[in-house]
Amino acid sequence: MSFRYNKHKIIYFAIALLVVVMVVQSCQKEPQELTEEELNETLSGGTQTVFNSGGGAYGQPFPNMSGNNGFVHGVGDAAFEATFVSSPSPINPGLGPIFNSVSCRSCHIADGRGKPPMPGEQLSSMLIRLSVSGQEAHGGPIGIPGFGDQLQTKAIVGSKAEADLDIKYSYKTYSFPDGQKYELRSPSYQLKNPYIPLPGSYMVSPRVAPPVFGLGLLEAIPEWAVLANEDVNDANGDGISGKANYGWDEVKKQKALGRFGWKAAMPTILQQSAGAYQQDMGITNFIYKTKSAFGQSQYKPEMDAIIDVTDSLLHAVDFYVKTLAVPARRNAGDATVKRGKMIFQQANCTSCHIATFKTDVNVAFREISNQTIFPYTDLLLHDMGTELADNRPDYLANGQEWRTSPLWGIGLTQVVNGHNNFLHDGRARNLTEAIMWHGGEAEQSKQHIQKLSSIDRNALLKFLESL
Amino acid sequence: MKKFKLTIPFFSIAILTLFSCHKNKDEGADNVVNQTNKKDILASFCINTSQATYSDLANKVALLNDAISVFDTSSTEINLTKCKDLWRGSRSAWEQSEGFLFGPAATDNIDPKIDTWPVDYVALDSVLNSAAIFTGTYINNLDDALRGFHPVEYLLFGKNGSKKAIEFSAREKQYLTALSTNLKSLTASLSESWNNGYANHVITAGTNGSVYATQLAAYEEIVNSLIDICDEVANGKIETPFLAQDPNLEESPFSKNSITDFTNNIKSVQNVYEGKYINDGKGLEDLVKSQNLSLNASIKNKITAALNALNAITVPFGEAILTQQVQVKNAQNAIRELKNELDKNLLPFIKQHVI
Repeated sequence: MSFRYNKHKIIYFAIALLVVVMVVQSCQKEPQELTEEELNETLSGGTQTVFNSGGGAYGQPFPNMSGNNGFVHGVGDAAFEATFVSSPSPINPGLGPIFNSVSCRSCHIADGRGKPPMPGEQLSSMLIRLSVSGQEAHGGPIGIPGFGDQLQTKAIVGSKAEADLDIKYSYKTYSFPDGQKYELRSPSYQLKNPYIPLPGSYMVSPRVAPPVFGLGLLEAIPEWAVLANEDVNDANGDGISGKANYGWDEVKKQKALGRFGWKAAMPTILQQSAGAYQQDMGITNFIYKTKSAFGQSQYKPEMDAIIDVTDSLLHAVDFYVKTLAVPARRNAGDATVKRGKMIFQQANCTSCHIATFKTDVNVAFREISNQTIFPYTDLLLHDMGTELADNRPDYLANGQEWRTSPLWGIGLTQVVNGHNNFLHDGRARNLTEAIMWHGGEAEQSKQHIQKLSSIDRNALLKFLESL
Repeated sequence: MKKFKLTIPFFSIAILTLFSCHKNKDEGADNVVNQTNKKDILASFCINTSQATYSDLANKVALLNDAISVFDTSSTEINLTKCKDLWRGSRSAWEQSEGFLFGPAATDNIDPKIDTWPVDYVALDSVLNSAAIFTGTYINNLDDALRGFHPVEYLLFGKNGSKKAIEFSAREKQYLTALSTNLKSLTASLSESWNNGYANHVITAGTNGSVYATQLAAYEEIVNSLIDICDEVANGKIETPFLAQDPNLEESPFSKNSITDFTNNIKSVQNVYEGKYINDGKGLEDLVKSQNLSLNASIKNKITAALNALNAITVPFGEAILTQQVQVKNAQNAIRELKNELDKNLLPFIKQHVI
């Protein structure tokens, strides 16, 4: 009896011990779902990552800026929001005479992504590039005489908008092997009511406003690191080329590696900002000293009597954009998200959407120096097939080539911008459509995804949403 | 029998393991205010603050629209005063909504459409001098600087704030009517967007279908918006005209309403924190109170201090930046302190207590 009792005691004791060990172990495991490497990956912008997954997620300053840098960021922020009006005005004069919008933020709403207009709406966070065939002296596209290389769809009193834009979509339904359907809408564009007759043939390229956060970090990726992924002639035979675009640096007056814009034709954030001031709002600056209407019939020399934004303000806007932080990933430890990440790799999405880079060492700007970032882009051009083509060359980019879009922060588009429209013209209405529009060099990856089970497709989407 | 006896410890293992891990997951969260209460606070924020404010805004703008129509046909001084009062009333509701400037106000571009500043005088004059018929579509296609609160303010109050009923041209009255109709439809659609969907995103934060992946994300959204409005008032609306010593940079100069605007912005912070507008419900304060009485007291004190400091400015803001600089600076500092409190103490508190 006592022997049996003792035996039980031992068993109970052993079990109790087991309980303690299991409890302790299970509790220790819980927060350790991510490896250190995975944990780092959640910090998409390195030390310039912010933990904000709400409507302001794209508009946060770098979290560790010095007081003075924070001040300049604030000045740039106010300038980014400033509404320009017709001259003369005591505040913010200089708008137009032709323009697309009245402030930076009216296109880059909440520093985020634009979209094509809904039926009956005006074009607001999307613009149209124009050109005729040929190349100008630096290799860039030639604008339409009398219209330039950007269509201004608005004008101040006394001037006429260059033209209106009409967008029509045609719809086609497809299905995955498991029967789940998806619909792709294909846009077509027509210019209407031009202020002067348009030439017989010209090229049109629609571009939605891209998100503007994290650009300082992308600018800080060393040039050699971008070029290291180039494979223009596909020497390794993997079906993926990767080509750097070279635009024209208006400050240095030389050819320069392009990093920004849908075709990577823009070398610097400063020049991008200056160009947007001039082309989008008609606001002149030290880089672009004449109104966008210069050389057109609606232009009058007195419009350029003064430079509209001061040099320091343009630099502040440049600095503001450079120091917008990147939101951290959410749910990176989730099992479905992890599976989605594996599928993203297996489908070879990572050959173009390269996960990580390290920014250059920059002792003069320590906030962007030596950061490990996870932008999911290679900043290079890739042939995306005929379906997505705009057939409008832009420096070295041909009509089928587009820059790999960064994917960081993409899962927050809905909460920040209230829509899920993706790609250069916003034709995709969700991530699935965006994936299924991929063609050309991405055709194989798309086909890989096309064949996935609905569970795996869902996992892939969950991974993208976690970015 | 033996088998049965052994199953007891195994059950204990299972239960203890589950229990211990469950507890561990909740670590940092508290046991007094459970998840349901946190949902209640989000629900109360929507019902008692955001939706209540937007609904009041829509109602007041509708009344403004009616009053302007009456003034259009019967242009008496009394009818004009009614319009001016209703403009201030609508403005008060709008400014009290700026503490939660997320969701449809931002994503549907309502904010720039109704509250863009400055007014484009040159374009406005030419609109008035044109032969254009002020249809809904015409107003909808106008640039943001030609519609919304400030052009209405400019037309109602006049450049120096003392416009008389007889000074209104027929064309101005038509434009005012059309602008207020546009304002009415935009504020109504804002209110509807919250009622028919956005409130649900907030309340069901953390479940499938909500734009907020976690409850914490919704709480952070709310607290960050409070921080943003304090920052905007102290470091934008007050700072810019004050530093430049330029009354031209004031935001509501025609109605001389800027100090009231700032006060309503801070009231918006108070409303969100306490979960009220007209009715008083649960608010962030209930979560804070349950855990940290001194933080609660400190936040409330700083809200009151900011409101008092604004109240100490006794002349219109455009004048105050020149003649009451101490009071302006005090108000700015008090709002900065409130911002700091929300940023450095409330936000970390939320991150600690909400998952």
